[in-house]
Amino acid sequence: MSKTLLCPCEDVTLEDVQHAIAKGYRDVESIKRYTGFGTGLCQGKSCLAAVARTLHTEGGVAAGGVLPFTPRPPLHPVELSLLGTVPVAEQLAPKGGVPPALHTGSHSLRPPEPVPERAQVVIVGGGIMGLALAHNLAKLGQTDVVVLDRGYLCAGASGRNGGGVRMQWGTATNIELARRSIDLMKQFAGEMGINVWLRQGGYLFLAKSDKVADQLRKTAELHNRHGVNTQVLSPGEGRDLVKDLTMEGVVLCAYNPDDGVIFPWPFLWGYAQTAQKRGVRVETFTNVTGFEISGDRVRAVQTDRGRIGCDTVVLAAGAWSPEVARLAGVQLPNEPHRHEILSTEPLKPFLNPLVSVLDSGLYFSQSMRGEIVGGMGDPREPAALNQGSTLRFLARFARALTEQIPRLGGVKVLRQWAGCYDVTPDNSPILGRTPDLPNLLQMSGFVGHGFMMAPAVAERTAAWMVKDTRDELFERFNLQRFVTGKLERETMIIG
Amino acid sequence: MRRLDPGTGPDVTIDFEGKAIPARLGEPAACSLLAAGESVFSRSIKYHRPRGPFCMAASCSQCLMRIDGLPNQFSCQTPVQDGMRLERQNAFPTARVDVFASIDWLFPRGLDHHSMFAGVPVADKVMAVVARQLAGLGLLPDKVEPAPRPPERLDAQVTVVGGGAAGLAATRALSAAGIPVLLLEGEDRLGGRLVLEAPEEHGEARATTVPTDAKVRLQTSVLGLYDDELGRVLVALEHGAEGPRLVLIKSKAMLFTLGGHAGVLPFENNDIPGVFSGRAASDLVLRRRLLVADAPALVGYGSQLAALQRMFEQEGARPVLVLDVRAGSGASGVVAGQPLRAHGRTWVHGLSFRTSEGRVQRVDCDSVVVTLPPAPAFELPRQAGVKVAFQPALETFAPVVEADGRTAVHDIWVAGDGHQPGTAREAIDSGRRAGEALARALR
Repeated sequence: MSKTLLCPCEDVTLEDVQHAIAKGYRDVESIKRYTGFGTGLCQGKSCLAAVARTLHTEGGVAAGGVLPFTPRPPLHPVELSLLGTVPVAEQLAPKGGVPPALHTGSHSLRPPEPVPERAQVVIVGGGIMGLALAHNLAKLGQTDVVVLDRGYLCAGASGRNGGGVRMQWGTATNIELARRSIDLMKQFAGEMGINVWLRQGGYLFLAKSDKVADQLRKTAELHNRHGVNTQVLSPGEGRDLVKDLTMEGVVLCAYNPDDGVIFPWPFLWGYAQTAQKRGVRVETFTNVTGFEISGDRVRAVQTDRGRIGCDTVVLAAGAWSPEVARLAGVQLPNEPHRHEILSTEPLKPFLNPLVSVLDSGLYFSQSMRGEIVGGMGDPREPAALNQGSTLRFLARFARALTEQIPRLGGVKVLRQWAGCYDVTPDNSPILGRTPDLPNLLQMSGFVGHGFMMAPAVAERTAAWMVKDTRDELFERFNLQRFVTGKLERETMIIG
Repeated sequence: MRRLDPGTGPDVTIDFEGKAIPARLGEPAACSLLAAGESVFSRSIKYHRPRGPFCMAASCSQCLMRIDGLPNQFSCQTPVQDGMRLERQNAFPTARVDVFASIDWLFPRGLDHHSMFAGVPVADKVMAVVARQLAGLGLLPDKVEPAPRPPERLDAQVTVVGGGAAGLAATRALSAAGIPVLLLEGEDRLGGRLVLEAPEEHGEARATTVPTDAKVRLQTSVLGLYDDELGRVLVALEHGAEGPRLVLIKSKAMLFTLGGHAGVLPFENNDIPGVFSGRAASDLVLRRRLLVADAPALVGYGSQLAALQRMFEQEGARPVLVLDVRAGSGASGVVAGQPLRAHGRTWVHGLSFRTSEGRVQRVDCDSVVVTLPPAPAFELPRQAGVKVAFQPALETFAPVVEADGRTAVHDIWVAGDGHQPGTAREAIDSGRRAGEALARALR
C-alpha cells in the first residue's frame, strides 16, 4: 500500500505528522512523543530534518520556534556489556550530566498573546498532577481553571518516568490510593478516548539482604490485610516468573500480579484534552515569575505572559515546587533528586513483570513497544534540579542489569535521559492548605511515584476543593506535619 | 545489481536462513546479500512493509537482521565471516511472504494507536494483547556474550572527530602549527566524502594522507561526550580485530567534523527496497565495487546529484532519470518536478512524478537513488552545550558556529558539513580554517 514515510524506523508517515500538527502538537518534542518518530534504532538521524521541515512549511511554525528534540546519548546503539566495562568512582558523588540545559528565561515557543486575566483556580504545573486535577475539577463543574507549564506537556517527570504502577506500598494510605489509581487507569481509555496501554504483568521485588527481606514480608502482610494479593515467593518461585533471572544472593521475592506498567504520555494528553473541552485553559511554555499576596491570600499569579487574578492557586510543579513556593515566600522541605533511566532496542515480549531489586534501587520492565526501560538510584546523588545524563549511570545500571539477566549483555541501549524525584523528608507527599496562606494548595512531594498516584489523588483533591468537605488526607499530609513532627514514613521507595 | 570486480577477494559462504550465499571476507554482510540478489532484508515495525538497505551507514533501520544469534544488527556494518548466520526478523512465516503485511493493506491511511479501539470493551483488551505480541523487533540474544575488553584511556591536546574532508584539512592545519592531533574515524579508512561519494569536480583533490604526528584511530565512532565527576570525557566505540571496546578520551579541545546524515525525502513508497541514499550508492560503487543499478533514477538536489550521474555513467550504468526536486535546474538532462511516487513491492521498478508542466510521467528503473545535502550531525555539539537552530534555507538543524569553527562552548569547535552542508571544496576550506583558528586559540 502506498505510504510516504518520514520515519521509516517507526513507520511514521507524513500523514501521521500532519495529523499531529493538526491536533495542536506544534513543537518537535511533542510531535516525537505523539507520533513516535525518532524513537527507533536511528534515533532521528534520518527523519528529524524532514519532520522539522513539515512543521515549518506546513504547520507554519516560524524557524525560531522549530527546535530539535534533545539528542540523547549514546549516538549509536551500544551493548550493555560494553557499557558495563566503564570504571565508576563510587566514592565520588555524581556530578554534571549532558546535555546541559540551554533555555533560560522565556521559552522561544512562548505564545505571544497574554494569559487570561482571571481564573478561579490557577494550577501551577502541567504534569499529571495538575492536569488530572484540572480534569477532575472540570468534571465537578469547576471549569474556570488555568493550568500553567513552563514547557511542553511531557517535559517534566510525568514524561520521563518508567511507567510503573503498583499497589505494593508501606502505608495503608498509599496502598489505597494506588489501588484506586489503577482502577481509574483501567477506565481511562473509555472516558478519555485515548489508549494508555496498561499491562498488569505484576511487580516482582527481589530482596538481597535479610533486612529488606523482613521489610518485604511485613509489607506483604499489610497488603494482604488491605485486599492486595501480594505473595512472598522463594527465589525459585520468582525465577518461574522470569526464567532468565539470576537469583544469586536473593533471599526472597514479593510479587503482586495486579501491579503493572502504563505508557505515561497519553495520560497527560487525555486529561488535558478532556479538561480543555470543558473550558479549562492549558497554557504551555509559560513561566510563573511571582505571586501577588495581600494579607494571608494569594491574589494573582504573575507570569512572563502577564498576571492572572485568582481565588485559589494549586502548586503541582513536582521537583520545581520548592522553587515556585519560594516565590510566594513559602519554604517547602522537598528536595529534587535526579534519577536516570534508559531504554534499549525493542525486543519481542519476554519479560512480564517489572523487576526491582529493592536493595540497590535497580528496576526494569519491558514496555508495550518491547524496549527494556529501567533505572537505578544512586545513593550519592546530591539534591539538585539536574536532568543531565551520565556515563556513570550507564555503567552502574548495565552491570546491575546484566548481573540479574546475563543474556541482556548483548542488548543495545538506544537512549538515556533523567528526571527528578520530588523528595520529602518522610517520603510522603505534601497536600492541602498552606499554613498562613490557605488559598495556596500544595500538591507535591511524591518521591518518584506521583505519576501512579495522580489519578486517585486528583480525584480526592477536586472533590475536597469543590464540595468543601473534610478529608483526612489533606490533614495527614499537610505541610504542618514537619512542624508538629507527625511524619508519615513510606519505606517502599525504589532507588 | 552487479559486482564490478567479479574476480577478486577470498570467497566465503554465509548462511542466510539456510541458504548458502557467496560472500567476501570482511565486506559488510548487506553487500554480500545485495550482490546475491536478495531484496527484502527486514519487515518494518508496524506495517510489516518490505525493507532493504537504504543508508549503508547505520543511520536507518532498514537492514537490521539477527546475526549469529544477536538481534537488530546493522547488516550494513557487520563484516562477513565464514559461516556467519543471518536471519530476518519481525515476519511470519517468512520475510518474503509475511502475513502481517496485511496490516499495511488494512490501514491504508495509517494506524492511530492512540485512538484505535480506545475504551471499546473487550476489543481494547484483545488489541493490547495483540499489540504486545506484534511489538518489538528481534528476540533476546541466544547466549551470554563473552565479557568485552576493558576500556582504553587516551589523553590528547586536540581530538578531531571525523576523518572526512574537513577533519583531514583541520588535522593538517593543526599539525602544521605544531599541534599533534588524535583523529577518530568511524569508517575503515580516512577521507569520508572524498572516498565514499561521487567526485563533484573533474580531477578533484582527493588526498587523504595525514601528517605523521597525528594519531589516527579508524573504526572508532564517538558515542557521546560526557561531563561529570570525572571531567569531560569523549566516549568512543572501537571495532578492532580483537573485538569491540570503549575508548575514553580526555582532551583540551575537540573539533567535530562529523558530516551529516542521509535524510529522508518524503515521497510515496520512499521506503521500499531498491531506494538508496546517494551516499549508500556511491559507497557501494567506490569502496565495495558493487553497482546498485544499471538503470537508476536519481532524485533530490544538491552537489551530489550531477556527481552521481557522472559516477554511474562512468561505471557503465545509464541513469534513466535525473530529477531535481527543487526545480529550475538548467543542467542538460536534468528534469524538475514533484511529487514523486516509487513503484514496486519487494524491489523498486518504476518512479513517477509530476513535471513542472503538470504532466504525470513514469519511468522504469531498477533503483531509486535519493540525494539531499546531508543533515548536519548536530547531536554531539548539542550534547557539549552548543546551541542548535533550524535553518530554513537548508531545511535542517545546524549547530550555531562562527565562520572559523568557534562555538559558544570554549573547548568545542565544529567544521565542514557538520556545520553547514556544501561542496567537498567548501568542507576542506572550512576544516582548514577551523584547524588554523583552533591552533591560534591554543597558543
